[in-house]
Amino acid sequence: MDALDFDVRRHVYFSVVANGRPPTTAETAQAFGTEEPEIADSYRRLHDAHALVLFADSTEIWMANPFCFAPTPHRVTAGGRIWTGTCCWDALGIPSALHTDGEISTECACCGEPLRLAVRDGELTEGADVLCHILVPACRWWDDIGFT
Amino acid sequence: MVFLRSEEHLQRWLSEGGYAPGATLTAPTLNELARIWWWSRLDPGWRPRTVEVSQAILDSLSLTSDFWQLRQPQ
Repeated sequence: MDALDFDVRRHVYFSVVANGRPPTTAETAQAFGTEEPEIADSYRRLHDAHALVLFADSTEIWMANPFCFAPTPHRVTAGGRIWTGTCCWDALGIPSALHTDGEISTECACCGEPLRLAVRDGELTEGADVLCHILVPACRWWDDIGFT
Repeated sequence: MVFLRSEEHLQRWLSEGGYAPGATLTAPTLNELARIWWWSRLDPGWRPRTVEVSQAILDSLSLTSDFWQLRQPQ
């Protein structure tokens, strides 16, 4: 990643917080006053560096972790918006990233029964009896981040 | 990385999915990990953490088994 990539990444995350969605390459190119292919290349470098996750064969942003832009069971109410978390870890990470309280509406992976967790001042105040399971060992998380 | 309502549901989910068990955390522990892990994600000057720093975060929560090692084993 080069200096442009860090600037682009910052723009992506600020756009996510401001608009609730990531910017397209065209929108970012316009913001930077440059051409879209240059931004597309930057998005790809950020993806390769695990600083963003793009949809397959696309420059559309799938994840700016902990935020996710595809449907999952994990809905997080925080900072005046409803967000989507990729997984249990990211769902709990959204209040942290936003430095605010949050409520997580999710479901049991086994039975689909609704589960609710809440974070206040960084502490889990609801859902303490819920379990979280990670199948993939840490050294292989990025082999297939969608499955992880 | 999924939420489950109980140990019974966890075991049923693993069995029905044919999954080898990974690591189970309580929600308070995962929340503490998430709080530390994601806290600086929106910092304007964000730079990627080194593997060593990320590993130290896991270590600080006693997540020290082979499962939690970020580097591939030699």
